[in-house]
Amino acid sequence: MALRSAGTPAPQRVDNPVARLLPIATTLLATVISIQPAHIPGYAALTPAFTLMAVYHWTIYRPDLLPPLAIFLIGVTQDLLAGVPPGVTALVLLLARAIVLRQRRQFVNRLFPFLWTGFTMLTGGVMLFLWTLHCLIDGVLIDFRETVFRAVLTISMFPIASFLLGRTQRTLMGAG
Amino acid sequence: MAQSALAWQGMQTPRRGKAYSSWAGAARTGEMIGFSPPRRAAIQRATLPFLVLLSATMVMLGKADQVMFESLRVSVTDTALPALDVLSRPLAALGHLTDRARDFVTVYQDNRRLAEDNERLLNWQQAALKLASENARLRELLKLTPEPVTTFITARVIANSGGAYVRSLMVHAGSDNGVERGQAAVTGEGLVGRVSEVGSRAARVLLVTDLNSRVPVIVEGPQQRALLTGDNSGRPCLRYLDAGAGIKIGDRVVTSGQGGVFPPGLPVGVVASLDGEAPRVEPYVELSRVEYLRIVDYGLADGLPKPVPIASRSGRRAEPFAGAQLGRR
Repeated sequence: MALRSAGTPAPQRVDNPVARLLPIATTLLATVISIQPAHIPGYAALTPAFTLMAVYHWTIYRPDLLPPLAIFLIGVTQDLLAGVPPGVTALVLLLARAIVLRQRRQFVNRLFPFLWTGFTMLTGGVMLFLWTLHCLIDGVLIDFRETVFRAVLTISMFPIASFLLGRTQRTLMGAG
Repeated sequence: MAQSALAWQGMQTPRRGKAYSSWAGAARTGEMIGFSPPRRAAIQRATLPFLVLLSATMVMLGKADQVMFESLRVSVTDTALPALDVLSRPLAALGHLTDRARDFVTVYQDNRRLAEDNERLLNWQQAALKLASENARLRELLKLTPEPVTTFITARVIANSGGAYVRSLMVHAGSDNGVERGQAAVTGEGLVGRVSEVGSRAARVLLVTDLNSRVPVIVEGPQQRALLTGDNSGRPCLRYLDAGAGIKIGDRVVTSGQGGVFPPGLPVGVVASLDGEAPRVEPYVELSRVEYLRIVDYGLADGLPKPVPIASRSGRRAEPFAGAQLGRR
């Protein structure tokens, strides 16, 4: 009840199985896009965190359709495919979900700048956490600059991802 | 957080009983296997912290025993291969398109440069032919054991690591095609890395720039042995050099063959900077633009130590030269 009184709208019922799978499918697609070789010099290291964008979007709009188990499995899959120590992405995405879910009512039905500001703060935290985690795993102080560039690129790509996810959501699920 | 989710789901229940049953996730799973509502709520509340804990445990286990997840990684990679293969093609096609546009603009300069190169290379060809016949004669005189025949497989790059902390590529060729762990990955320009994991249809190549990459090399000119050490930057460092080695910018760096993983003389790059604590090498291969690479079997792959399970491991790190290119992956 607390959420309703705070103005969180009731999520629309979705019967179409394709639409119900949309959050999981798009997050999985974001994972695959993240590891695509773009043949652009320097891009691999700075690849935006597309999966984080999808998790952020769906946790705000349809957390019911992107359950923690799906996030965990997608995260582990991404780690295994990317050659990253398994569990790292899963951990980061689950923590992101936990944080966003707590603040969800601040973002639902708000203007895009609010959403973007929230994502900026989340990305900053996530990238710092990732950097610390990798420094601990590898036992060396990793150059922080690439992490900063990656964060900036992730934040600047978010409007496009948000627009595309929002459009797909509206098309398949109706208003949302 | 889990509480908010509960509140949100709970708010739906009385109003829309049907919608409730159609929802995905842990709640639905719980309902299907017949848990009572309070039990279901408890499971829901525990799911996220449990999974966070599980992920953290995986990270720690993976750190403690680096071989633990290798078979899982290999099978997931093999399973995802068709999707990755299909999805990587449009991007590659886009890359070709931009390359073609650039070629069109530079066709005149390219033609002139190629004509000059051709003239120069014809001279080299004559020199090479002369040296080859001289070599053959000398080998015969010395009764030298012939070098093992090298075979190679050309493979397409279908994925990379996509992040700031790992430098590796996934290629569409695996043990079914004869790829083995430890084989060298090269292009026409030089060394790319070595095969670190092999599935039946896909393999992972650890790039020379990765934090865990170690390649024994020789700096031509001063003939100095060193260890090319990746640090995730575009230019790996030369470590374990003698003080006052007399290295200059522009010196060629080739594999030394020490450690028995790579054959000697594979071109790696040139010394690009002498600033900082160690000289840095610019690889010949533009690693981010590699689309096809050759996995070469020099008959040396046995030289790479097999991953050691944690139970039988005595030390944390191998000797740098003896275990060339050892790494996490």
